[in-house]
Amino acid sequence: MKVLKLVPEKCTGCLRCELACSYMQTGAFQPAKSVIRVSPFEGHTSYAPYTCTQCAEGWCMTACPVGAITITAAGAKDVVDDRCVGCKLCTIACPYGTIFYDADTRKAFKCNLCGGAPACAEACPTAAIVYAEAETVDWLADFAVERSARLVAVGGR
Amino acid sequence: MPPRHLIIGAGTAGLNCIRTIREEDGGASEITLVAGERPYSRMVLPYYLDRSIAESHVFTATPATLATWKVKTHIGKKAASLSPQANTLTLDDGTTIEYDDCLIATGSRAVKAPVPGADSPGVHSFWTLDQARAVIAGIAPGSHVVMVGAGFIAFTILNSILSLGATLTIVEIAPRILPRMVDDTGAALVDAWLKKHGVKILAGATLTRIGDSRGKKRLTFKKGEDLLADLVIMATGIKPHLEWLQGSGIRMNHGILVDDRLRSSVPNVYAAGDVAEGKDGVTGMPAVHAIEPTAMEHGRVVGANMAGRDVAYRGSLNMNIVEVCKLDVASFGAWDDPKCEAFAALREDRSAYRKLCWSGDRLTGAIIIGQAADVWTTNDVGMLKGLVQTGVRLGAWKEHLRRNPSDVKPAFIASRTTARLLPETVLGRPSRAPELPTTVTR
Repeated sequence: MKVLKLVPEKCTGCLRCELACSYMQTGAFQPAKSVIRVSPFEGHTSYAPYTCTQCAEGWCMTACPVGAITITAAGAKDVVDDRCVGCKLCTIACPYGTIFYDADTRKAFKCNLCGGAPACAEACPTAAIVYAEAETVDWLADFAVERSARLVAVGGR
Repeated sequence: MPPRHLIIGAGTAGLNCIRTIREEDGGASEITLVAGERPYSRMVLPYYLDRSIAESHVFTATPATLATWKVKTHIGKKAASLSPQANTLTLDDGTTIEYDDCLIATGSRAVKAPVPGADSPGVHSFWTLDQARAVIAGIAPGSHVVMVGAGFIAFTILNSILSLGATLTIVEIAPRILPRMVDDTGAALVDAWLKKHGVKILAGATLTRIGDSRGKKRLTFKKGEDLLADLVIMATGIKPHLEWLQGSGIRMNHGILVDDRLRSSVPNVYAAGDVAEGKDGVTGMPAVHAIEPTAMEHGRVVGANMAGRDVAYRGSLNMNIVEVCKLDVASFGAWDDPKCEAFAALREDRSAYRKLCWSGDRLTGAIIIGQAADVWTTNDVGMLKGLVQTGVRLGAWKEHLRRNPSDVKPAFIASRTTARLLPETVLGRPSRAPELPTTVTR
């Protein structure tokens, strides 16, 4: 399966992925509605994008009481808006914190790999987000450990 | 002869069990379902109440789905007695069903406060579809609704009642609201928020009787003035359906005691959901977690085991989330353990509260309260669940979280929680989409 491969060392924090994601998902440039989110590390000297892993369990999908989350042809777990009632159970069932609630639509929303052509990967100018055939792994941990060592050791920002 | 599985109860646990059996066996076994009601989701009844969904939306497995899954049904029938020696179930109409293995997933019912007048017309529970229909028929714009009980279930329908144009008074016997969902500080914050949004709350109020007064219900208390209501909803707790198992020999405490395969003291009798007392994944102790995710996971594990797999359940995680008047309230795990070390951060000015509970450098529970419009309230709520669920050691991040209880994301990522979670599945294989398995051919 093609997955979103994240290469945090290449992320410059430009947020083009968030703009592209929100535009593709909602039709408006509003990073608050993006389902890929860039986090700063080391006092905003480095950055890493973070999004749904399309995990094997699909904690959001199995938790949904009305079967409103399904698996698309691209292999993504996706919210079926007509079925979702907005109970938020998926938002606490997902242990990665990658499914959200939209107060405007009263529905849950998450990464659906844009139907197999993820806008974030297309928009990323440095190939920090690559849509490729790969095994999903913990792309960010080594980077985060290294970049946060001082933060944790010093005990402050 | 193909194995004969008997599923008692068509709620979340029962239906997830059936689905999983069919995912595993493709239709090779016999499945019989006994259910008092047509299958529907109780979780979504609040959205039916506020009319944001049609009644048809609440139904889960339709008769057509059950037929496709090759399930024999006894809908509208109740289990009357179980005979584990004979491997038979007797229904309330006298029918006897033989089984090779069986799942007890009979769920809970709402219980009313034991006061005179509790069963009179105009005093409702909100638990079943029929009860929801009765509440819908009874509320009109301008109605005064009195809700007796201020727990999670009461709070799930609070928005719906207000959105119908009713005014709401909440009466709670305990000294504070949400006694089993958040701590005192959290409850005070929610209390203040609701009062600010026009909900009257009377905590520490002991209801003594409900009478009638010129077309309205009159609620009388041990102390204080009477209340007049157009409609009374009693959300005073739920109780698992276990009475019918008296004399069956199945071991019970608060619920049916089950092992890590969800087997009762009788090995071919399983229990799941609200009636099961199984392992709490955080404490390792037996507990009844009468919540949707536990019923779902229990049901799936039982289904896999009935289908011949050997799946151990890692234990359930207590969790709840509810939004009231655009304030999100959530809690996880062992947030109420009085012995745990806890960090708490209260921002009264923006109605935000967060509490993190620890065992050493592992997170064991959390409370999250904040305005739904503040995206940071629940932005990382799932990550907190991941930290509690994996029990990952946070090391020096613990001190970071003491100072910055909302800066969960770097702690989550740098503690390699994702790597811990990726291989984790409930059934030891990837989950299937909720559409019915198309492999039911045999």
